[in-house]
Amino acid sequence: MESLYLWPARPAASLLALWLLSQLFCWAARAPVHRAFRALGRVLAGAFRITARWCKSVSVSIAKRDREMVLEMGKGDAESKVAREFRRVEVTFAKELGRYPELHRKMDDLTARIDADYKECGNAAPTPPGWAEATAAVAKMPQNADNVVKKVLEEIHNTAKSGEKKALQEYRDSTAKRHKILNGMAPMLKELKDNAADAGKSVAAALETTKRIDAHMTTYEQIRKGEDKAVRAMGWQSTQLFVASLLVLGVAIGGAFVNFNLIALPMSELVPAGSRIGGMPVSTVAALVVVLMEVAAGIFAMEMLGITSFFPKLDLLPASRRRIILAVAVGGLLLLACIECSLAVLREQLVESATALKQSLAGVHEKAVADPAASRIPVVGQAVLGFILPWILAMVAVPLETLIATGGHIFLTLTAGVLALVGTGARLLGHASRYLVEGARHLYDIYIVLPLQIERLATGARPSISTAKQGARP
Amino acid sequence: MKRLSVLALPLLLSCSSGKNYAQAVVALVDVSGTYADQKPEVVNVIKRGILPKLQPGDSIFVIRIDDESYKKANVEGGMTLDVRPSKANAQKLAFATQMDHFAAKRQRSRHTDIRGAMMLASEYLKETGAGQRTMVVFSDMEEDLPRGVKRTLAPDEFAGMRILAMNVKKLSADNMNPSVYRQRLASWQQQAKSHGAKEFQVVLEPEKLDELLEH
Repeated sequence: MESLYLWPARPAASLLALWLLSQLFCWAARAPVHRAFRALGRVLAGAFRITARWCKSVSVSIAKRDREMVLEMGKGDAESKVAREFRRVEVTFAKELGRYPELHRKMDDLTARIDADYKECGNAAPTPPGWAEATAAVAKMPQNADNVVKKVLEEIHNTAKSGEKKALQEYRDSTAKRHKILNGMAPMLKELKDNAADAGKSVAAALETTKRIDAHMTTYEQIRKGEDKAVRAMGWQSTQLFVASLLVLGVAIGGAFVNFNLIALPMSELVPAGSRIGGMPVSTVAALVVVLMEVAAGIFAMEMLGITSFFPKLDLLPASRRRIILAVAVGGLLLLACIECSLAVLREQLVESATALKQSLAGVHEKAVADPAASRIPVVGQAVLGFILPWILAMVAVPLETLIATGGHIFLTLTAGVLALVGTGARLLGHASRYLVEGARHLYDIYIVLPLQIERLATGARPSISTAKQGARP
Repeated sequence: MKRLSVLALPLLLSCSSGKNYAQAVVALVDVSGTYADQKPEVVNVIKRGILPKLQPGDSIFVIRIDDESYKKANVEGGMTLDVRPSKANAQKLAFATQMDHFAAKRQRSRHTDIRGAMMLASEYLKETGAGQRTMVVFSDMEEDLPRGVKRTLAPDEFAGMRILAMNVKKLSADNMNPSVYRQRLASWQQQAKSHGAKEFQVVLEPEKLDELLEH
């Protein structure tokens, strides 16, 4: 600063002179400086505005792409659901309709038999001729005649009684027979009722399926029309699936880590322990490869079972080849599980051996504490873990597919969100920079307020309105 | 499939690191003068501090420092561990037994040929081709060559090696004047560094050796 002094011996006078010179210079340069400030403000605001517009447009196009993707996903999902329901309907109808002729025949037989039995029930024995009233009247005649008449009347009476008795017996027999026939109809009626109930259930199931198809079709229709409600629902569903699959994958990675640690040490018995690949011991790399092979085998098994569809080409293979690949994948998994099981046992032996060596080198011969290795539980536990973990890892294909399928939506949504945020920030910065530059321009005027006032007094002019306006609203 | 594996093999080999990660350790044990009494303790340090740290593929040698140490007969024992951990453990056990026999032997030399032992150790270390080469010297670091014995170190005698002076016993003169002890160690450090040693370090506590031999 002191180097700028005009008179180093008189700093106050030097500072005053410098101030006056700066006032003069700033007053003279006011107009171009103002233009420079305005230009700077325009440039900054323009740059931020362009950035904001670009961010917004990209964000909108990404959101549009995301929407299209979600709609496509939803469409595919709804189509597969409808197709699945139709397959169910096909299976159900094939099964039920296949049984229908038999059911129909059975019901026809039953109704025919019931009809015949019913008709048979209707056959009653003919009533005896109208002698009964006549003989009864004769039998009731007073018995004051001679013996012959009396005897005749008694015979008539006996005959009437026996006739009546016989008729009653015939009636009872006939009734019993009808009851027997009716009893025989009961199981047939029950069977008929069961058949009708079965048919009713099948019809109800079919109706239920059609209701589900209706619901899926409604959703499909909404998606096809691109309704916002459907898009939001699909987006939320994708997010849920993404989070769920992420959690499951996290658990699976934990399992893979345990699995890896279980086999990394014993693997050094199988591969050269001294060599390294990329700084990692070969045994570690081999253990990692085994774990990854289990995952790969699991992916192929799930693919062949039709649970996942990573590779569309594999879907086109004939069933026989798919079965072969499935057998190879499952067989490979079984083999790897067995290898891991044996490695887990070997690991325990190695740990025991290393512990014994350390104790021996340290000169410890007696066991100071109870030896937990004497128990076979750790060995069995490790062996079981070694066998089970590969199968669990094989399941990772399902959440992995879901994660990949829904990851696109999440990525696009996040990108669109971040771009929208950046756009808003840029817009705010644009406004802020414009006002800041305007503020700086006013500060400049404040600094040279004295020469400005002198100029105003000398010329009698008012401050420029346009400048004031521009200052009010840059 | 065969063709695929033939193609994959060079790919895997090209991925494998060219760096040698094996470690070679040579322990030089002074059996001269008053330091001869330290032998059992030194063997214990070798057994508890060095042997457990060795991994399959690593090498270890034990060389005796006596009147004239640049002799093959001074190598008390040596081995390169098998790549299989189980075999390596068995080798370590056998080596520990060998060291016990060495500790039990009554040996005391009149002179101390440290450089001769170091030159022999350097040759063994170079021969192993290990990536990490360490020389652990158990001595009072006071050299006393017999008459007529000459030891001239090559400029790259200890190239790429690490020299650890372990359990350096202080002599009675050192107690009288510690600067003598410090000057002696400084001179060894200068000598080691000037002949290509990567590092020269004095280790006081055996536990420290664990960290220094960490892969």
